[in-house]
Amino acid sequence: MPVVIPPPDPAGLPAPAWLLQILLVFTFILHILAMNLLVGGTTIMAIGLRKGKHSPFHAELAKRLSRALPVVMSFTITLGIAPLLFVQVLYGQAFYTASILMAWPWLSVVALVLLAYYGLYLVQFRPDWLGRWVTPIAWMSALFILLVGLLYTHNATLKLTPEKWAPMYDASPAGLHLNWSEPTLIPRYLHFMVAAFAVAGLGIALLGLLARKRGDSWGDEAVRYGAKWFIGATLVQLGVGLWFLFSLPSNFLQSFIGGNTVNTVVLWAGVLAAVLGLLLVNRSLPGAVLLTVVAITLMSVTRHSLRQMYLQPHIDVNTIPVNPQWGVFIIFAVLLVIGLATVGWMVWQFYQAGEPKQAAASQ
Amino acid sequence: MEYPFWDVPLLGGGMLIGIIAILHVFVAHFAIGSGLFLVLSEIRARRTGDEALLGYLKRHSTFFILVALVFGAISGVGIWWAIGLVHPSATSALIHIFVWAWAIEWVFFIVELLAAFIYYYGWNRLDPRTHIRVGWIYLAGAWLSLFMINGILTFMLTPGKWVETRSIVDAFFNPSMLPSLVVRTAVAVALAGLYALITASAEADESLRERVVKYASKWVLVGMTVIPIGGIWYISRIPDQAREISMGGAPVVTLFAAASVVFSAFVFLATLAGPFLFPRRFHVTFAFVIVALGLVTTGVTEWVREAVRKPYIIYDYMYSNAVRTEDVQNVWERGVLASAKWSLLDEQDKQDLLRMGEKVFRFHCQSCHTVNGFNGIKFAVKGWKKDFIDMQLQNLDQLKGYMPPFLGTEEERKALTEWLYSLNNPVEVQQAASR
Repeated sequence: MPVVIPPPDPAGLPAPAWLLQILLVFTFILHILAMNLLVGGTTIMAIGLRKGKHSPFHAELAKRLSRALPVVMSFTITLGIAPLLFVQVLYGQAFYTASILMAWPWLSVVALVLLAYYGLYLVQFRPDWLGRWVTPIAWMSALFILLVGLLYTHNATLKLTPEKWAPMYDASPAGLHLNWSEPTLIPRYLHFMVAAFAVAGLGIALLGLLARKRGDSWGDEAVRYGAKWFIGATLVQLGVGLWFLFSLPSNFLQSFIGGNTVNTVVLWAGVLAAVLGLLLVNRSLPGAVLLTVVAITLMSVTRHSLRQMYLQPHIDVNTIPVNPQWGVFIIFAVLLVIGLATVGWMVWQFYQAGEPKQAAASQ
Repeated sequence: MEYPFWDVPLLGGGMLIGIIAILHVFVAHFAIGSGLFLVLSEIRARRTGDEALLGYLKRHSTFFILVALVFGAISGVGIWWAIGLVHPSATSALIHIFVWAWAIEWVFFIVELLAAFIYYYGWNRLDPRTHIRVGWIYLAGAWLSLFMINGILTFMLTPGKWVETRSIVDAFFNPSMLPSLVVRTAVAVALAGLYALITASAEADESLRERVVKYASKWVLVGMTVIPIGGIWYISRIPDQAREISMGGAPVVTLFAAASVVFSAFVFLATLAGPFLFPRRFHVTFAFVIVALGLVTTGVTEWVREAVRKPYIIYDYMYSNAVRTEDVQNVWERGVLASAKWSLLDEQDKQDLLRMGEKVFRFHCQSCHTVNGFNGIKFAVKGWKKDFIDMQLQNLDQLKGYMPPFLGTEEERKALTEWLYSLNNPVEVQQAASR
């Protein structure tokens, strides 16, 4: 069966491909950081709710996480919009096709996110009303979010393998396909999810650090507990990451182990940053956070290079005509600066104001 | 036509989008209007030292966060999901034409969200002045994101000068953009009041309840008064054919357009006769009845707005079945199945007219018709003889102004005719009859 690739949109690209790619990777990093805090945080909260029955530390951790997670969820979604926009601009041919093949599972992401989100709010606002259902509801949210991640991995991998599309569509146009036959599916999924627990661990350690600065003794244990998650998950990641790497088709694998200098350096510098973060976490938490952000950045670049390699034979964004809209782009850039400044001002006002003067009426 | 077609049984893809979109619209306008409602009411409460009203606003803002920020935001993403699956070519066109407009909307959306959270969590934390300022920022972010999406949405019906200039400025500031913005802003004000009726009627303190119910009902009445003014302006700016479709050209659409007016009047009268005149006797059940009427109004109105765009999905640029107007000649010469690569036409199809006809249907007709569900073709062609079907297909856009022209080859038309005929006259029956 032939490989069928939809043609690129006749409108062309609204800016040079390199600029759109930078925006894609940059906003993807922002999304993935929030996503990591959400995935790891929700699961650790669910664990904390159970352990909290016997441990005041875990009860307090779950309570603090329950207050933060709805906001984290909101930002995971919002920060995900921009990379999804740029993916559709650059790789729409692959994105729409792969999504249509798995239309129902892909659409179910919306429902799963909605339910998980309401679950988080229930846990935050109505723990008394939920009673012994608090922990199961938290687990429901955690599992739905983990499932959304799996569906994303199905979509991302299916997008990269155009040769699978036509046979799948020929078998059924009902949009019920998934990409289980993909050898990189499971290692790729685990690679992302394990990272989420490491990053969420760092997030908890940071919460602890902030609490310690305010003289809150809960902070000491939170720093230790968060670091434990970070170290454990990163150690597991060394294995999972290698599994993912070696599950790649051999020509791609080669390019990351010497075949292509840039790809090799970026990937292994990322690994090095993660390992250094591991060694540093108990000495300097901010240092470990910085190194982890560096590692995530380099890994996101690697992910992009891998995508380029997969799609190269079929889709080459550098050959799509460019019809730049610089005027509107500049308006966007200016508004982005103003928007971020406004956000910064509001957050500053919020923190400066300190803890609530009285218990919130709504809680 | 360039993408695989997702077969949604019974409902059809368009209806799927419709369900998600109507729910989203109904909540998203409330989200915007509530910005104004919360800020103005808070200013009033602070100025008069009205602690009771302030308490209500705090409780109302919890409801607001749970409905607007969660359901509103996610259903909005849901529309994006659904249109990409059902109309990939049109979605791709909107994405490519308006990339930076979407990116700007995203900036406003981030400001809107963060402001909403800080407003909500800041009730007892920020000083009143700052709190009100954050409320204004929320309103600005929310309304500006409406401003952006409204320009893109109206472009689909009235692309205006863009068709020639291909300039994003012409695309965005299109003929129906401003009137639509007025209508949607008024809808936002009305819905802010409508939702506030729910929370107000659930208040325990009787005098507070009466006061807020009356106050909220005024928001509904003011909004509902402005809507028809903007609506008439809007209707004056849409293409002639779109107007005709809604006023007799297509009976179902006309019926829905009438329903939109009737239900709007119901909402207005119910608000006037209920919460406005008799706020003391107002009950939460009544609130839900008015909200339900509001949802029906939103539903039929948005449905009509979508329906009058036929036969296009993007006016004068792309037909509902994803054929670009500039490609019409090309498709007509090559045929539907050769143009739609995802038809994956094989030897077996070429030898079997029914198989071929079904594929023509899928790639040329199914973006609007299901087989035997919503807008089902089986019912549409019931009782039609083959000759009649063929004649209809040949003059499709002439006979039915809201349908695109049939662009298949003669063989494809024949195949489609056979297949359509077979829906109500199974082949076995045909054979038995000829014996």
